[in-house]
Amino acid sequence: MMLNKKGTEKLLSVYWFLILIIIAGGIFGMVYVFYGYPYDFRDVEARTLTNQVADCIAEGGELKIDVSNFDLLRDCGLNFKDSTYEEIQYYVNVEILDLSKNAIRQFEAGNKNFVSSCEIANEDYGKLARCSERSFYTTSEGIGIKIKILSVVRKTEKNGRNN
Amino acid sequence: MFPHWLKMLKKLNKKGNVLTENLIFIILNVIFLMILFLFIFKQGEGAIILEESYAKQIALLIDGAKPGMIITLNMEKGMNLAEKNKISQDIVSISGNVVTVKLSEKGGYSYSFFNDIDFTYYRYGNNYIFTIGKKEVKENDA
Repeated sequence: MMLNKKGTEKLLSVYWFLILIIIAGGIFGMVYVFYGYPYDFRDVEARTLTNQVADCIAEGGELKIDVSNFDLLRDCGLNFKDSTYEEIQYYVNVEILDLSKNAIRQFEAGNKNFVSSCEIANEDYGKLARCSERSFYTTSEGIGIKIKILSVVRKTEKNGRNN
Repeated sequence: MFPHWLKMLKKLNKKGNVLTENLIFIILNVIFLMILFLFIFKQGEGAIILEESYAKQIALLIDGAKPGMIITLNMEKGMNLAEKNKISQDIVSISGNVVTVKLSEKGGYSYSFFNDIDFTYYRYGNNYIFTIGKKEVKENDA
């Protein structure tokens, strides 16, 4: 009986270590998955870009730009050049619409190729650019207008999963 | 058959064995758990992770900054790590619109920002201070 008990205890401790190894493996795996991929800042970056453009276009419910001589990069203080990438990684599109949703003016800057990414949502979504779309109403010389801003940020290599 | 004192000694020895076995088992478990926790804590404090998170944080802070703001960023963890890795120069450098954070000899992580503003930055103790000014529009730009 004593011998059997000892045998069971030893067997139990082997199983105990087996359980510990499985738990350790799980934890190592989870930590690897968590820290193995870069932090994805693109959504926040796209929203920040949209806000910056919105702040530069209208203030206090009034359009504050001269649409006849408006340059998105110059007038909104944007610099899309990035020495770490060969091509520009941003795109901004501003549409000024009347209240019947007819386009009055449109301004854009950056790399237009990323716009298609906004409409694609599949399992490779992590590899594509991230978009932020926002619209708001304002007035211009007493006439109501709608401003639609679309911002796109790619930078996939530094934010997305590269597998 | 055996004298009483020998029986007692045998009993004591047996108990001693059980205690030693349990003790070794507990010590091994504790060592195992310590290694596990150490691994998890070390993972979050590695130079690569910190460089990336600081560079991206600074880029986002600059992107969202408005003229007149003074931003203080606590970089104590990063500075301690840089000291440990014998990095003597400034750990943050900004060239054009690219922020680079370097916490180890071979490392360094760069991330760009889009906000075209004038700002100054300097180290103050364990913090980095960013003072945001307004971008001066040149005559021929306007």
